[in-house]
Formats: sequence, structure tokens, C-alpha cells
Amino acid sequence: MNNQSAPFFLQLGILTKRLLLRLARRPLAELPNVFISAFFLLIYDGALGGVFGGSASGTPFDFANGNFLNFILPVSIVSASVSGGASGIYLVEDIESGVFKRYQGMPISKWAIILAPIAVGAIRVLLQATLIMTLGNFIGADPATGNSGYFAVLAMAFFWGMGFAGYSVAAGVRSGSSQGAQAATFLFFPALFLAPTFTPRYALKGWLESAAAYNPTTYVLEGMRAIMIEGWVLDDILKGFLVAGGFAFITLTFAVFSARTATEKS
Amino acid sequence: MFAVEAKNLKKTFKSKDGDVEAVKDVSFHVNEGEIFSILGPNGAGKSTTILMLTTLLRVTSGKGSILGLDVEKEDKKVREKIGIALQDTGLDNLLTGRELFFTTARLWGFTKQDAETRTSELLELVGLNEAADRRVKTYSGGMKRRLDLGLSLVHKPEVLFLDEPTTGLDPGSRRVLWDEIKRLREDGVTIILTTQYLEEADELADRISIIDNGLVVAEGTPDELKAQIGGDVITFIFNNYEDSKTAKDLILNSEIEGNELRVAVENGAEKIPDLLRKLSEKNLEVTSVSASKPSLDDVFLQVTGYRLEGASDQEVDSEKELSEYE
Ligand SMILES: Nc1ncnc2c1ncn2[C@@H]1O[C@H](COP(=O)(O)OP(=O)(O)OP(=O)(O)O)[C@@H](O)[C@H]1O
Ligand SMILES: [Mg+2]
Repeated sequence: MNNQSAPFFLQLGILTKRLLLRLARRPLAELPNVFISAFFLLIYDGALGGVFGGSASGTPFDFANGNFLNFILPVSIVSASVSGGASGIYLVEDIESGVFKRYQGMPISKWAIILAPIAVGAIRVLLQATLIMTLGNFIGADPATGNSGYFAVLAMAFFWGMGFAGYSVAAGVRSGSSQGAQAATFLFFPALFLAPTFTPRYALKGWLESAAAYNPTTYVLEGMRAIMIEGWVLDDILKGFLVAGGFAFITLTFAVFSARTATEKS
Repeated sequence: MFAVEAKNLKKTFKSKDGDVEAVKDVSFHVNEGEIFSILGPNGAGKSTTILMLTTLLRVTSGKGSILGLDVEKEDKKVREKIGIALQDTGLDNLLTGRELFFTTARLWGFTKQDAETRTSELLELVGLNEAADRRVKTYSGGMKRRLDLGLSLVHKPEVLFLDEPTTGLDPGSRRVLWDEIKRLREDGVTIILTTQYLEEADELADRISIIDNGLVVAEGTPDELKAQIGGDVITFIFNNYEDSKTAKDLILNSEIEGNELRVAVENGAEKIPDLLRKLSEKNLEVTSVSASKPSLDDVFLQVTGYRLEGASDQEVDSEKELSEYE
């Protein structure tokens, strides 16, 4: 009748589906992040688009090449992809409620238990980033690389979001609390603004320009902007992918190690 | 082969503030098809023992085995044989009872169709048909316990571990669970159940192990344990505490609790006149006297030196579980 346990990928699928079901049961918890990202997109464009948009043509401030939306959209996408940080919260919720322990008593792979929330985080990142890009496209963004540029931006956002997923899982498992997992988001906001958020790096004041050089967010923003404004400028795009991918690699490795100690028997 | 065997199990939790010896030396065996009860007060080491036997906690020393399988070396195989309902139930409050059964069955490797069949069977078995499509959040304490029991049965385990399955339930809900547990034994499931309720152990268990402070202090069938005390227990009730205290000094091996004084004797009918005379000589007024066969309560008192607090009536859920169930 049954084989006493499902194969690995089926386990992962079942656990992921369960988390998605939970997510669907409390949609309000998911709204703020996507709402804030969309809100800022409109506000930034409304406030700064007039100065740095078409009317900047021929001035030294024409860094957006006539369309400020292309310049500011990456900020909202990067901010939306922080939603990957929810992964750790999902995991910690299950630890706190004892569901985690229940699974440990069943013949389920611990990797499936850890990967499921990360998979849901990934789905969230992709959904939210797509939503923001759709909104951006609707109100006038036009990537220099054409529509295929959107996919490159999405891919970069995905790696960036996975970085936050890994970070939140590690922080959550280590601190054993959902606050610990949520800290991922708090860390992000200063990082988003210690970067060439509103103007290119060369226009920043000296101290901020130096700080931005050490901030990984800077390279992700610049990578996305290259795609949106300049075209397939491999140098900047590659840097963006390297930084986002490196971030994901480091935090996910960290997450795996942390989770391994957490799932070990005491 | 025993269904469960614990040989000198020991568990020490290490921490910065010093080590805690939660389980010092626990040995017992459970025969196939038996209900075995581990009885003990808060902090006795019941849960720790269960966690070690269910492969969820590392064994510090000693050996545990389930149907001949070592709980440390063959933990994967052990998990397939056993069902576990832990003390603090990890239930997903956002899902419905049906979804929980279905998901659990799928994780155990059931096909979609088989998982659906199993879900219906179990919802029926634990009496949650009507609430099946409600979120678990809305379930009462008793319903959650029954759901938890049902979830531990999904893969038809041969050995079932229940850690305090009725703690916090009102008498009605408790009885509903007892009936279910008895039915499972009729189906041939071996059951290890921990409890701090004497009458629960008395009602359900074929054999009982009383543990206190991480050690087994008595083991046997309820009747054997009661017979250890022998004879009868005489209970005197006095007007006030002072009198009962004075009486305690007069009667050898007696124990007092408030105005009550209890003493185990070989033959109650023979001994009562004697004792009453002794008491009236000291002008102690007895308001009532009775003799009864010893209860597990008396056994517990004898082996541990104290009474299991609130043995018969713990905090109860206010819900009227029984009527809801029917
Ligand atoms: N993870 C742990 N770390 C340190 N000490 C622990 C841990 N788990 C249990 N203990 C201690 O071990 C002892 C036995 O605990 P255990 O939970 O096994 O008791 P119990 O008999 O199940 O009690 P209860 O009836 O309250 O559930 C207690 O003193 C408890 O504080
Ligand atoms: Mg316990």
C-alpha cells in the first residue's frame, strides 16, 4: 500500500505545497513588502522622474538616458526580492510550533525539510519581482536590451533574493526565533540606501561614494541598470551576477551548515 | 522478542549551568500487544525516555530497542515501525484536519488515492469527520489530541508511543481517548503511554512502570502493584489537622493529608476497632473511618514517599468534549 516514505523530490514537493497552502491562508502577511516596493516605485518616479528624466537631456544629470523609470525600477526590484528572507521565518515557525519535530520522527530527508521553505522563498521572489517589473513596464519602463532584458534582471533578482533566503534561514536557525530570521530585512534597508540608490555613484558625496563601493547592493543595482539603460554591457552585468550569485552561494552554504547542526539530535 | 526494550537507559543534558540527569537508569520491556504505562510526576523523565526510544533524542548510555531494532543504530527502520504522539503536539494550525492527514500520508509514501482513503478512515476513527475541513486552529484541546493520535497512526505502526495523551483534558474527552486507545490494542497495536494520572494507568495499562526522578521505582500489573502493599487501606477523617497530626504519631506507618490519615494494614476489619480504641484513649475524635483495597495512589505514595499531586482531578478544559463527539 505504501513504501514507508516518499522519494526525495516528492517529499520536497509535498512540503513546498504545504507551505504555499499556509501562505495562501494568510495572504495579508505577504502584502506589505510588495506594496512598499510598488509604492516607492511610483513615489520615486513621481518625485525625481521630472528632474532626471527627459528634461535632463543634454545636462550632466542625464544618467537615466531620458527615462528615469529605467534607472529607479531596479531599486524596487531589489527591495521586492528581499521577500526571499521569509524563508527563515517559515522554517522557524515550524520549529516553534513543533511541526519540525514531528517531521524528524518520520522518514523524511532533513534536506527536504530545509529546502522547502527556501523553495517557497524563491517562488515569492520571482512572483514579487515579476509583479514590480510588470508595473514598471506598464508605467513606462523600456529596457535598452529589449524585453529579454527583463529576464536577465529577474534572474539577478532571483539570486539576490536567494541570498536573503539563505541568510534568514541561517539567522533563524541559529537564533531559534522568528525575530532572528526577520533581522534579514532590517539589515537590508540601510544597505539599500548606502548605495547609488537615486543617482549614479559618481554623483554621490565622497563618504557615501566610498561606502557604496563596499556595499554589494551597489553592484546589483548597477548590473540591473546596465541592462535597463545601456544594453548588454557585459562588464557591469557580470559584476552584478557575480555579487548576487556570490551572496546567494555564501548565505545558502551558511544556511546548510546551520541547519545541519539544528537538525542534529541533542 | 519484545516490542520495546529499555536497558539501563540514561540521559544527561549538558549545559553551561551544569548537567541535568533527566533519566538516570530506566529499564523495562513491553510485550507485543500490550498497553504499557509509564507513570510519574512532572519532571520524572517520562518524555525524555520516550524521546530516546523514538529516536528523537540521543541516548547517553544504555540501550533501547523496538522489535529488536536498535534505536540508535537502526533509527530509520525504527521510525517506520513506530507511531509517535509527543507531549507538545506540533500541529499546523493554518491547515485543516483533512489536509494534515493527507499531507502526512503522502509523506509516508502513499499514492494520492491511497492517501485519500487513509484520510477518510482516520477521520472516522478519531471522530473528526465533521471538523475535517475546518482549520486546526479552531479545534478544541480534545480534538487536537485526537487529531494528533490519528496522525501517529497514518502508516499503521506496530508500536505506538503516546506521551501524556490526555493531560489537560476534561473527564469526558479523556474517556473518549481511552476508548480509542483500547480499540487500538484490540487491533494488535503495542502501546506505550506516559501519564501522570493514576486512574488512567489503572484503567488502561496491562503493566505499569512508576518512575520518579529518572529512576524506576516500581513495576508490575496494577494488581501486582496493589498487592505489594497488601491488605487494606484504612482512612480516618478527623475534625481538624491538629488531631490528625497527633494521630499520626500514634499509628505506625501512617500518612496524613489535611484531616485525613491513611494507613495500610493486612486486614482492615480486624484492625479498625483496635486503632479506634487507641485514638479515643487520647481523646481524638474521629468523624469517619473506612477501609478499602489499596489504590495505585497508595502504591505511589509507598514507593515514592509522596502523593501524586492532584492525581484524580487536574486542570480541565472547559469544553464539553463528550457531547460534541457524539
Ligand atoms: N533539553 C533539555 N535540557 C535540559 N534539561 C532538560 C531537557 N529536557 C528535559 N530536561 C529536564 O529533565 C527532567 C525530565 O524531564 P522530562 O520532560 O522527561 O519529564 P516528564 O516526566 O516528561 O515531565 P512532565 O510530566 O512535566 O512532562 C526535567 O528536570 C527537565 O527539566
Ligand atoms: Mg513530559
